[in-house]
Amino acid sequence: MKILVINAGSSSLKYQLYDMTDESVLAKGLVERIGMDSSIVTHKPAGRADVTEVSEILEHTTAIRKVLGLLTSPEHGVIGSIDEIEAVGHRVVHGGEYFGESAIVDSDVKSKIRQLFDLAPLHNPASMMGIKAAEANMPNIPQVVVFDTAFHQSMPEHAYLYAIPRVLYKKHKVRRYGAHGTSHDYVSQAAADYLGRPIEDLKIITCHIGNGASLTAVKNGRSVDTSMGMTPLEGLMMGTRSGDLDPAIVPFVMNKEELTVNEVNSMLNKHSGLLAISGISSDMREITEGMQNGDANSKLAFDMYEYRLRKYIGSYAAVMNGVDTIVFTAGVGENSVVLREKVCENLTYLGVELDKELNGIRSGEPRRISSANSKVEVLVIPTNEELVIARDTNRLVQGLKS
Amino acid sequence: MYFKKIGVIGGGTMGQGIAEMLATRGLDVLLVEKTPEKLDYSYSMIELSLDKQLEKWAITQAEKKLILGRIHKVVHLAELGTCDMVIETISEDLDAKRVVFSQLDQVCPSHIILASNTSSLSLTELASSTMYPERVIGMHFIHPVSKVDLVEIIRGLKTSDTTFTETKRFVEEVVHKKGIMVYESPGFVSSRMICLMINEALHILQEGVASPEDIDDAMRIGYQFQYGPLEMADRFGLDSVLAALERMFREFGELKYRPSIVLKKMVRAGHLGVKTGEGFFKYDKDGDRV
Repeated sequence: MKILVINAGSSSLKYQLYDMTDESVLAKGLVERIGMDSSIVTHKPAGRADVTEVSEILEHTTAIRKVLGLLTSPEHGVIGSIDEIEAVGHRVVHGGEYFGESAIVDSDVKSKIRQLFDLAPLHNPASMMGIKAAEANMPNIPQVVVFDTAFHQSMPEHAYLYAIPRVLYKKHKVRRYGAHGTSHDYVSQAAADYLGRPIEDLKIITCHIGNGASLTAVKNGRSVDTSMGMTPLEGLMMGTRSGDLDPAIVPFVMNKEELTVNEVNSMLNKHSGLLAISGISSDMREITEGMQNGDANSKLAFDMYEYRLRKYIGSYAAVMNGVDTIVFTAGVGENSVVLREKVCENLTYLGVELDKELNGIRSGEPRRISSANSKVEVLVIPTNEELVIARDTNRLVQGLKS
Repeated sequence: MYFKKIGVIGGGTMGQGIAEMLATRGLDVLLVEKTPEKLDYSYSMIELSLDKQLEKWAITQAEKKLILGRIHKVVHLAELGTCDMVIETISEDLDAKRVVFSQLDQVCPSHIILASNTSSLSLTELASSTMYPERVIGMHFIHPVSKVDLVEIIRGLKTSDTTFTETKRFVEEVVHKKGIMVYESPGFVSSRMICLMINEALHILQEGVASPEDIDDAMRIGYQFQYGPLEMADRFGLDSVLAALERMFREFGELKYRPSIVLKKMVRAGHLGVKTGEGFFKYDKDGDRV
């Protein structure tokens, strides 16, 4: 079965075409600047040269038509006809309380995604455009939606509620939803597979640290707590997001600086984090470089980032009454040797012992970076959210057939 | 109708504000001024406004670049032929506006909506200078455009239902502001009410009932206005307030619209408010009260 995986943003669309017989990627690519007269499509067929095309793509339906054209084109294509695509899987950011797992798209599912526009005003409408565009181009092909929040729906009430008047939860569904669920799900399972132990016996802390960053406490294979909250602003310090702060700072600053709601939102989401403290960059690579060149602000940014990450690991060890595996994943988690080293250096009280040599190795494979004596397994596992979407889509569509 | 490219004629305060707001919403803007120098000035003012927003963390450097990239400078109306809508924002001079509309009539396909940002002139009269008066409508934005989420949509006598509903859709779904429907009448709703309040504040001042600060505090704190009436007048420009009052006085003929003597004196003295640094209060270069 061949499955097209789509991740639609408001002005971009990423895609991957999977052959599920061996889970190989036949082609992948990206459409950027949708809505403008010079949209860019970058198409990467496996084992062949990349193709870049610039043309006018005003909306998502045209974008998907363009992608299907490239996938079936004689020069750059990887399949003979569109009919070979048997299912489409979509990434959707917010599934609210409706979706604890992936679902086959029908009118009910669509109406629920629409009801969640309020909670994810930037992301869910874009996902919806992707779904509609796929429907328009491939009307009779089953579609599946995979939610970023679904994995965290297993959190207990005491973890997902905020200690504020409960009427706000009842009226507006104010609660913790978390994010990166697909990634936390994938790397925790991959960790269990790597260790050859049943996930039901493990207490895992997964650290998804990319541009956005979140931690999850995975106990017996289920998310029991996660650091992102109702929105992706809570939790760790990130590239441009503040992460945790005293909520009273918000009205205080709004008053002092005469800021509007939009301005303060933008400040916390786009002008904070590593960027605000370093004054240089939101990118961990540049921060590390700055630190190594003796820049005091970069060092402070790094120290705060590492400190906050370590605090969360400690608190999730408390959440699960122990931890036996720590997993690092995503851009920074997979690549920052120095961040992993600094974090692990101060986790000896948990029994963590890092093997510096193993930690220094760069690789795209799942690997152990803790020593043989370490009481806690520390792993680096490259995440693969698209594969999870393809697998879920495959599973649900197979179920549909039988 | 698909709204992607919008023409904005006039690069004054309102033209700048509208162009910037549209570009922020992701639309392409063709900004028209009479000369390249005037265009450059308007463009630099938009840049300044974006810099101020950057300072307040409202946007990022990258967003500023994107927004400016969507604003294109144009000196000939003839280049507006590809626009999906045109908004005219030149000074409140009926004859000048009529010239612009009759030119647009030649340039833009007959289904393209031609809107005027006039705050007091007759839409019906403006439309009469075109061959397709049914596509002419009023779209009155309020300064500062990026912050005030209200647009008065004014129907002239011949404005068609389609023109109105499409304009309303544009205002509410594309630029995300509230659009209210107003029939043609001097000052519509917003200018008529606010100018009367300002004029009354001036009478109170003139009679020595209260100081400028106290008059403003009364309305600002007592009735939750963001600015009191006198500071509001300073921000609109005292010359604009005077012109609006005079027009309404002429049209309605009622004494309550007669502009206060204080206002006339201030304008004659060249104290026009924020733009000259002095009105009822004093302001710095950034328009903040000193």
